[in-house]
Amino acid sequence: MSSMIEVKNVRKLFVNEEGEKNEVLKNVSFHVDKNEFVVIFGPGQCGKTTLLNIIAGLEEATDGEVLKMGETVSGPGPDRAVVFQDILLFPWLTVMQNVEYSMKVRGMDSRMRREEAGKYIDLVGLNGFEKAYPVQISGGMKQRVGIARAYCTKPDVMLMDEPFGALDAQTRYLMQDEVIRISSTEKRTVVFVTNNVEEAIYLADRIIIMTDCPSTVLKDIKIDLPRPRSYVDPEFLSLRKEISAMLNRKR
Amino acid sequence: MRKKEFKYYLISIGTIILFLVVWYLLSDVFQVFRKGMLPGPVKVARSFVEKLSTKTPDGNTLFGHIGASLKVVLIGYIIGVAAGIPSGVLMAWYQPVDDMVRPVFDFLRTIPGVAWIPVVTVWLGIGLKAKAAIIFVNVFVGTVVNIYSGIKQTNEVQIWVAQIFGAGRLEILFKVALPSSLPYLFTGLKVSLSMAWLGIVAAELLASQSGLGYMIQVARSLGRPDLVIVGMLTIGLIGAFLTMALEMAERVFVKGNRK
Amino acid sequence: MKKRESLRKSVWTIISLVTLFLIWYLGSRNEELGRLMPDPVEVLKFIAAGFVAPIGKKLLWEHILWSLSRVLIGYVLACIVGILLGFAASWFKVGEAVIRPFYLLLRSIPSLAWIPLAILWFGIGEKSKYFIIFITAVMIIMTNVMDGVKAVSPELLGVARMLGTKEKQLFVRVVLPCAVPQIFNGLQVAVGSAWAAVLAAEMVRSSEGVGWIILAGQSSMNMVQIFAGIVVIGMIGLLLALLIRAAERRLCAWNVRGK
Repeated sequence: MSSMIEVKNVRKLFVNEEGEKNEVLKNVSFHVDKNEFVVIFGPGQCGKTTLLNIIAGLEEATDGEVLKMGETVSGPGPDRAVVFQDILLFPWLTVMQNVEYSMKVRGMDSRMRREEAGKYIDLVGLNGFEKAYPVQISGGMKQRVGIARAYCTKPDVMLMDEPFGALDAQTRYLMQDEVIRISSTEKRTVVFVTNNVEEAIYLADRIIIMTDCPSTVLKDIKIDLPRPRSYVDPEFLSLRKEISAMLNRKR
Repeated sequence: MRKKEFKYYLISIGTIILFLVVWYLLSDVFQVFRKGMLPGPVKVARSFVEKLSTKTPDGNTLFGHIGASLKVVLIGYIIGVAAGIPSGVLMAWYQPVDDMVRPVFDFLRTIPGVAWIPVVTVWLGIGLKAKAAIIFVNVFVGTVVNIYSGIKQTNEVQIWVAQIFGAGRLEILFKVALPSSLPYLFTGLKVSLSMAWLGIVAAELLASQSGLGYMIQVARSLGRPDLVIVGMLTIGLIGAFLTMALEMAERVFVKGNRK
Repeated sequence: MKKRESLRKSVWTIISLVTLFLIWYLGSRNEELGRLMPDPVEVLKFIAAGFVAPIGKKLLWEHILWSLSRVLIGYVLACIVGILLGFAASWFKVGEAVIRPFYLLLRSIPSLAWIPLAILWFGIGEKSKYFIIFITAVMIIMTNVMDGVKAVSPELLGVARMLGTKEKQLFVRVVLPCAVPQIFNGLQVAVGSAWAAVLAAEMVRSSEGVGWIILAGQSSMNMVQIFAGIVVIGMIGLLLALLIRAAERRLCAWNVRGK
């Protein structure tokens, strides 16, 4: 059986107005299995978001291709839901309307989608805020809406792009546990991008470590730590040390 | 990608040509329009060339009218801006002035510039002074509004930093608030310029014996739509040209803190 | 805290407007100034009297209604056409290629410069006034619609596609709601300009309306009548702006609440 996602020799080259070339992804290949939680981790500013956008179909690879269940990805679609770093809710829709949006454009009747959206709003702990507009709620709450909205599309893959990057440390820990809790109730394939080692180890079944510009896969590590994990567990710490050392050596 | 843009470029040019051809066919070949409604493009072009050198029917050549209009606009504009900037700064920077003057200003602001034409005509007649006064009103309001909001939006942190470094209130105004409000000022200058240009047309339509507005008004009363259109296009072109000049000035003066 | 601030503001508003009134009143007592400025009490009396005794051939509120109905017809037409054309010229590439050149040309012609041509085309009756108001408002509305559509972020469109929005749904689901605040901004600016345009149109040729009131005041050198007209014009301009703002608050709750 083919993997859920297969990234094959992807290369991405940006050319700016002055004609300067900037290669951000170089020969990137990896695969993601069904129901696996894969974290793409890298220290730099370069390439990870682009890689995720290419998987999502929001950007095009210069060379190479991405397959989803054996088929070439050619554009964005609800089978690959993205949770964005800067969230990108529709500001003119309430929390409820944002969450049920994907079902509405699919033409589901309103009673059914209300019920379904309500379920996910419960799941991310936003009951009582259904009628609020995005400007009225906090950053952490907005990101929960983003997650609920993505789950509502019933995606084959969840693509999460540093979803907690803009949140404060406390909320960040809270949201990490939340994501784990949600993905244990709703079994899904997740590809999660982060530049935070701890977050990567805490969440991942498998970590794909990327180098800095141009990004390429440095190492693919399976994380076998039992769940729930702890940041101060000795094994956790040694793993952390190992990954950091790996990156330093590379530098 | 490039190729696609080129295609739309061609569509644009094609539409313009089609428009001119249809206009020509309708007016000159099939003569659909009643006489004195819409002359053909050829006629308009010919009138334009003629008007460059003839003084009939309105007593001046096209350039003469342009000069007359521009002179008034510039006088009114410069005085309006020169008075508007300090007034706006005073209102924005000194709370008591703001409290006292703002309500009156807000009320006067709701009165369109054209409404002052009768007052000005009674006070100053229909000469240069009267028209400049109309322009002044239009420009003054626009300038005050924009410099006011420009200064009001000055970043508080920047003001604090200046205070910590011991700058006085006046110094902060000149070194922090005014420079940071420059983009707003330029927006104000541009808006006021088009208001001034609108004002001169209105003033010359209603009360004048020279200028482009007067020219199209005379052409209208003589049933010369070709000259009306020539006048309108000239007004449009000069307005566009003035705006472009200001935009160039903006690019020179406003660096690094575009809105 | 906020309450006290707004109380302070309203007290100052009253003080300031009363002071204006007093200065005006005392100034008009002075013999020299009195010739230029009518007594404000006389002006208010004139306004009040206008509701019972006709000014010219009509009562004051009839004049107001005449002007307002002209604005309304031209404005509503402009809203429909401006919004449609604006979307056509920004969301559809071909539409943009076709419409944009004409838009650029017409944009730089001040709306009031159309008055002579409007009179030639439509005569001196109502139609030419509707046309002037229409032209004034339609350019402003179009500009804002186009800016609104251009400001829709590509990221948000990406999100919509990712969530399964079909290309055909994109416009209604994302572009339209995204552009609504900017469109409202345009509607608000346009209503002010339309109000100014009706004055100009009425001042050029008319036998009723508030524009006529001030122009008739000018030709009979009746300063009281001119100033009464100006006060009424200011009040109605203010009212129109408030009306649109109230509508915006209703329709764009999501945007206003954030401010």
